[in-house]
Amino acid sequence: MHNSSLTKFLFVVPALFAFIMVMVVPFFFGLYYSMTDWNGVSETISFVGLIHFFKVFTEPGFLYSFLITGAFTLINVVLVNVVGFILALVVTSNLRLRNFYRAGFFAPYLVGGIVLGYIWQFLFNNALPTFGKIVGLEALEVSFLSRSDNVIWAMSTVNVWQYAGYIMLIFIAAIQSVPASLMEAAKVDGAGYFRRTFRILIPMMANAFTISLFLTLTTSFKQYDMNLTLTNGGPAARFFDEPVKASQLLAMNIFDTARANQMAEAQAKAVILFVALVIVSLLQVWVSKSKEVEQ
Amino acid sequence: MRKILGIATLFALLTGGHIMAAPANVTMFQLKVEIKDALDAYAAKYSAEHPGVTVSAETLGGGADYGGALKAKLQAGQMPDIFVIEGQGGFNVWKDFAADLSDQPWVKDTALAFKSGGKVYGFPVSIEGYGLAYNADILKKAGIDPASLTTRAAYEKAFKTLDAKKKELGIDAPVAMAASVAGGMWWVAAQHNLAVYWGGGLAADDTSVIDKALKGQLDDARFLQYAKYLQLLYKYADKNILLNGSYDNQVGAFAQGKTAFLHQGNWVDPNMKQLGVTFKMGYAPHAFLDTPEKGLFLFAPSWYIVNAKSPNAAAAKAFLASIAGTPAGQDYMVNQAGMIPAFKSVKLQPKGQLSQALMAANAKGGNYGVFFGMLPDGFGQNVAGPIFDLFAQNPDNISQFVADMKKAVANIPNSK
Repeated sequence: MHNSSLTKFLFVVPALFAFIMVMVVPFFFGLYYSMTDWNGVSETISFVGLIHFFKVFTEPGFLYSFLITGAFTLINVVLVNVVGFILALVVTSNLRLRNFYRAGFFAPYLVGGIVLGYIWQFLFNNALPTFGKIVGLEALEVSFLSRSDNVIWAMSTVNVWQYAGYIMLIFIAAIQSVPASLMEAAKVDGAGYFRRTFRILIPMMANAFTISLFLTLTTSFKQYDMNLTLTNGGPAARFFDEPVKASQLLAMNIFDTARANQMAEAQAKAVILFVALVIVSLLQVWVSKSKEVEQ
Repeated sequence: MRKILGIATLFALLTGGHIMAAPANVTMFQLKVEIKDALDAYAAKYSAEHPGVTVSAETLGGGADYGGALKAKLQAGQMPDIFVIEGQGGFNVWKDFAADLSDQPWVKDTALAFKSGGKVYGFPVSIEGYGLAYNADILKKAGIDPASLTTRAAYEKAFKTLDAKKKELGIDAPVAMAASVAGGMWWVAAQHNLAVYWGGGLAADDTSVIDKALKGQLDDARFLQYAKYLQLLYKYADKNILLNGSYDNQVGAFAQGKTAFLHQGNWVDPNMKQLGVTFKMGYAPHAFLDTPEKGLFLFAPSWYIVNAKSPNAAAAKAFLASIAGTPAGQDYMVNQAGMIPAFKSVKLQPKGQLSQALMAANAKGGNYGVFFGMLPDGFGQNVAGPIFDLFAQNPDNISQFVADMKKAVANIPNSK
């Protein structure tokens, strides 16, 4: 089989072609357009250098979006993984109906961000305030989505609800791949449940954490669909005395800029998002990898 | 070899000849979902009556990004022959594609064509407009004469009366107005209400206030009067609708008789019909000044542009001319699509109550122009939207609102 490498290559070609056409080529086009004054239509495009990259950092709305996206990512990386891990521990224990729970916890992931946003918007704007009125809890009567200092937690709640089940699946697979003999040996040696979990289970499944952290990091950083339908960027808030949109994450800020026919500025922001995401995720993978143990 | 060449030539001639004789296939791409069926029917009818011309209309779903979709069509080489712009910002982007329509027969028949540099480029799709819509039955019960609502002081008195009689009248609040970023309703406050400041109380073509703003200046005395009017609306608006409500929440509250006033234009007529509204309604002016104002805000919200680079431009122009100038076209505009035509010669009457109120105001004259389309793209959504939302959260802080807007307007010249 002297031409096996050619065969392999031919198998890769369709996917490679699609990847180049919809990822690589647009990426370099985007890089180019971010340094022009193009509005998306006009035929005269002039090169303006790095102006947009400096200009966007003087824009309070963009700076705020950057910070709030960072905060949102941090909250979600922690919460999604902690909740996902706890759920995984629960459904791998000797629980009755554990397959039912597995399916149940995973179900929100299948709903999809757009629909999920609308469902939770109804819960936050209508169901919770009505419940608050009935039981007389004043704290619940104003929707969490209209409180600018709480809205990020409301969004995180929805995000955790959506992704924890998915991350749980990855953890379940990892937990099941840890040799039972190791755990039993530790048990015989008198290690308690928490000691076994933290000293044996977690180090043994560190590679699962690498993947899960990476997934949650990138999905939170790029969040758009649930953001759009749940809060639409609202309510307004003040940031260094400038009016900004309290829950407008980076992706939405970029889209709204593009929608205002500022294609080049939007593209520059997208490049910044890309660079930030690459740096953060490379750091994360590097740190996580160093904690993995060879099996 | 010669034979092959001969066949190739023959083939080229055949296909070339075929292209020459091909019927004009006019494609249209528009964004008013509510007129989709009427437009499709009219296009089909027009095509049937004009052999050799086929008009097909495509409609983009509600709230979608029309500008983005049109850009995608351009990139895909499927630029439509007739497309829509919504103001100066859109024109600036698409001007390379806009055909000069100055010689069209309908130009003399309308005051609302889109013009730039002395030439006509846009066919006005319809007239839309707004004042503060009122529920005549509730006002009557409360003893308020809508004709008296011509100053801010008169509104304040009316709102107070309504607020005091809330239980008796069965209303939640005097006004249904939405202003939230979250509900996607920034346009009601930061576009339509702010237009009151740009054009209210002035001649319909007086752009002096917005011209000043485009240079970065706010008319302080006038703006303060406007801010007080907005404050009044905010204070007497239903809080949930104001801070969270969607379009449906806002319009629904008025339709169910839960508020006496509604801050929306005549485009809610089909919603009113759907919701089975039977009460009488009309428009009171947005009277924000201390001096009386009686006019409503009338404007063409969008224009059809003929693609100058298309080989079908002539057929596209003829199709638009038929809408404005033939009985069938006028029937489509008014009776089928329920729009208020922007052409003086049309005598048909729309069925909706609010549209009729606008028609009456248009006939009477003395109305005001709507100029937010002259602002840079994104000003309403990205800049003014959050400012109006913040003011709605805390309507007592009027000085903050004025300071924010002053700063935002001062930045307009830099944002181009």
